[in-house]
Amino acid sequence: MTRFIIRRIISLVPTLIGVTFVIFMFQRLIPGDPAVAMLGEHAAQENVERIREQLGLNRPLFLDREALKEGDFGGFFDSQYLRFVGRLLRFDMGTSIHRRIPVAETLKQRFPATVELALLAMIVAVFIGVPVGIASASRRNSLLDGVSMVGSLVGVSMPIFWLGLMEIMLFAVFLNWFPSSGRLDQSVQLKSVTHFVLVDSVITGNWKALIDGIKHLAMPTIALATIPMAIIARMTRSSMLDVLQEDYIRTAHSKGLMEQVVLFRHALKNAFLPVITIIGLQTGSLLAGAVLTETIFAWPGIGKWVYDAILGRDYPIVQGGTLLIALIFVFFNLMVDISYAVLDPRIHYE
Amino acid sequence: MAEITTNEIGVADFAVREHRSLWGDAWRRLISSNTARLGMVIVAVFIFSAVFAHFFWQYDARTDLDYALKLKPPNLFPTEEISSIHPFGTDKLGRDIFRRVVHGGWNSLRVGLVAVGISLSIGGLLGLLAGFYESIAISSLERVFLLAAIGLFLGFLPSWIAGQYFQALLFAGLGAIAPYLEGIFTGRRARMAVFATIGLLLGGIPALLVSPFTALVCAVLGLLAGVALSLQLGGQLFSGIIMRSMDIILAFPSYLLAIAIVAFLGPGLDKGMIAIGVVGIPVYARLARSSVLSVIQKEYILAAQSVGEGHNRIIFRHILPNILSPVIVQTTMGLASAILSAAALGFLGLGAIPPEPEWGAMLGDSYRFLTSGAWWAVLFPGLAIMFSVLGFNLLGDGLRDALDPKLRV
Repeated sequence: MTRFIIRRIISLVPTLIGVTFVIFMFQRLIPGDPAVAMLGEHAAQENVERIREQLGLNRPLFLDREALKEGDFGGFFDSQYLRFVGRLLRFDMGTSIHRRIPVAETLKQRFPATVELALLAMIVAVFIGVPVGIASASRRNSLLDGVSMVGSLVGVSMPIFWLGLMEIMLFAVFLNWFPSSGRLDQSVQLKSVTHFVLVDSVITGNWKALIDGIKHLAMPTIALATIPMAIIARMTRSSMLDVLQEDYIRTAHSKGLMEQVVLFRHALKNAFLPVITIIGLQTGSLLAGAVLTETIFAWPGIGKWVYDAILGRDYPIVQGGTLLIALIFVFFNLMVDISYAVLDPRIHYE
Repeated sequence: MAEITTNEIGVADFAVREHRSLWGDAWRRLISSNTARLGMVIVAVFIFSAVFAHFFWQYDARTDLDYALKLKPPNLFPTEEISSIHPFGTDKLGRDIFRRVVHGGWNSLRVGLVAVGISLSIGGLLGLLAGFYESIAISSLERVFLLAAIGLFLGFLPSWIAGQYFQALLFAGLGAIAPYLEGIFTGRRARMAVFATIGLLLGGIPALLVSPFTALVCAVLGLLAGVALSLQLGGQLFSGIIMRSMDIILAFPSYLLAIAIVAFLGPGLDKGMIAIGVVGIPVYARLARSSVLSVIQKEYILAAQSVGEGHNRIIFRHILPNILSPVIVQTTMGLASAILSAAALGFLGLGAIPPEPEWGAMLGDSYRFLTSGAWWAVLFPGLAIMFSVLGFNLLGDGLRDALDPKLRV
C-alpha cells in the first residue's frame, strides 16, 4: 500500500512539471507585453525596458545558450522559466501587476471565500443527493424514482449562471429575502481571524455577522450545489442498483432482515465507493473556484479573481492562482485514487 | 384424434424468428423508453427550429434595433401600445427575444457539433492508439518510427543549445537503427554502454565547433539520450506519453482552461468552439482507452492477430465497432455539455461577438436589467439552454440503456 502511494505520488512529478510549463507558456503566448500592461500604452521606452529588466522579461525563455558559449553556467540556467520554477519552489508568487499587492496576500483572503462556499455546497449536495439516490434505488421505477431521476437530469442540464440569476430574481428582487451579492453586508463589522465568515463570527461571538453571513451564503450555495447534487444522486442510484442485484442482498432479505438494515448496513457499504470517487472529484472542482457563480453573486473567491486576471493580463495572479487551482485538482485526484486502494480490498496494486 | 399442426404449437414462430441486428434492437429499445422519446422530441424540435430559422427566416443581427420597443414584456396579441407580437418580450435594444432565441439555436448547434467533433476526433484517436499499443506489442516498423521520433525529440535540446540543428537528425537516425543494434548487442549493459557512447559522440563532437563548454553540456545530454534510447522502449511508453499529456490538460478546471484559450485566441464563436473542443479532448481519450482495454483481451482480437491481420485493420475493423456504444453515449452527452460551456463563455462575454444571437451572450447582455424587473429577457434564453441540454442528456441516457448488450432480450 505504501509503495503504491509513493509510486502514485512520483507519477505526479511529470504532470506537475507539465502544469508549470503550460502556465508559463500561457503567459508568453497570450498577446500583450506585461511591462506595457503595467505602465500603460504611452510609457517611455526606457521605463518599459527598466520594468522588463525588473520582471526578468529580457532573459531568454528556457536556457541561455549565449551565456554557455562564454562558459557561464549560472547564466545558462538563468532563464524566465527556471526563475519562475525557482520562485514557485520558494512559494514566492510575486506581486499583482495592477494592484501592487503580493499575490499570496490576496490569496489568503480569497481562498477561504472559495473554500467556505465550496464546502457548504458540497455538504448540501451530499446530504440531499445521497439519500435521494438511495431512496430511488430502493423503490426502482416508482413515482419517486421517476421524479427524482428526471429532477437530477434537469439539475445536470442546468446552466448554473442562469439558475443563479433566477434565484436573484425570485429571492432578492421580488421577495427580498436574501442579499444578492458579496459575503457580508457593508453595515456588518467582523474582525477577520481566519477569513472564513462563519468561523470568524462564531469565534468572536458576533451572531449578527453569522446570520448575515448565512444569508449571503444561501443563494450561491444552492446554485453551486445543484450540479454535484444531481450527479451524486444519479451515481448513488446506479451504484446501489448494481449492488442490490447481488446474491448476498437476497440472502440478507431472506434472513428476514429489515429493509433499512439491508439497505444501509449491507448494500450502502459496498455501493459507496464510486460515490466517494464522485464526491472527491466534485469537491476538487468546486474548490478550484466557480467562475460563473462567483461572477453572478460578486463572491470574492479565486475563480473570479483568476478570471479577471486572465482578461487583465495580470500574470503573477494568473500564474499563482492557476497553479494553486491545478494543485488542488491534482491533490483531490490523488486522494480519490488512494481512497480506492484503501477502501476496496479487491484492488491490489503491485 | 385431431391433427396438430406446427403452427398451433408455435414452433414455426420460434424457429423462423426474424433476424434482428444489434443496431435494430438498440433502436427498438430506444423508442420504447419514455425518457429517450422525450429527449428525441426535444432534440428534434431544437434542430428543426434552428435549421429552419437559419435557412428560411431571414434575420440580420446588425440591423435589428428599435428603441421604441425597448424591454417590453411578452405579449401574445397586438395591443394598442405595441402592434407587433413578441411572445418572449423584447430586450434592451428592442429586439424580439423569441426571434433571437430561435436563431441562437443555430449557433449553439454549430458550437456543439464542432467542439465535440474536435474532442472526439483527436481524443478518440489518441485514446484508441494509447489503449491498443499499451496491450499489443508494436511491430518492428512502428518501433523504428517511434524510436526515431523519440530520438528527434531528445536530440532537439542539445542541437538547439549548440545551434547545430542537423544534430537532432543524427539522434533520430540513432533511434531508427536502435531496433537493429539491439539485435547485435543483446546484453543490457553492453547495449547501454554502446548507445551511451554513440549519444555522447553525437552530442559532443558537433558542439565542439561552438565552444568547449557547450560541447560538455551537449555531450552529457547526448549521453542521457543514448541511455534512454537503449531502454527497449515500446508501446507502453507511447501510451504513457499520450495519457500523461491528457493528465496535464485535466489538471486545469475546464472552464478556466477554456477561458484561457479564448483569451489567447481572442473572442468569437469560432474561437470558443476550438477552446471547448480542446478542453474536451482528454475525456474522449480516457474513455476510448479504457474501452479499448476492456475489449482487447477478447478472443476475437487474438484470432485476428493470429491470422496475421495488420494493426490498422484490427483497430478499425475489430476494436472500433466494439467500443462504439460508450463513445456514442459520451458524444451525445458531450453535445449537451458543449452547448452549456458555449453558453457559459458567451455569458462571460468571451463567446459570440455582441449583435450575434447566442443564448449565453443574451443572458450576459440582459441580466443587469433583472433588478428593474425585466425577467423575460433572462428567463427565455436560459430556458432554451436548459431544454436543449436536457434533450441531449435524456437522449444520451436512453442511448446508454439501449446500447447496453446486457439488457438485450
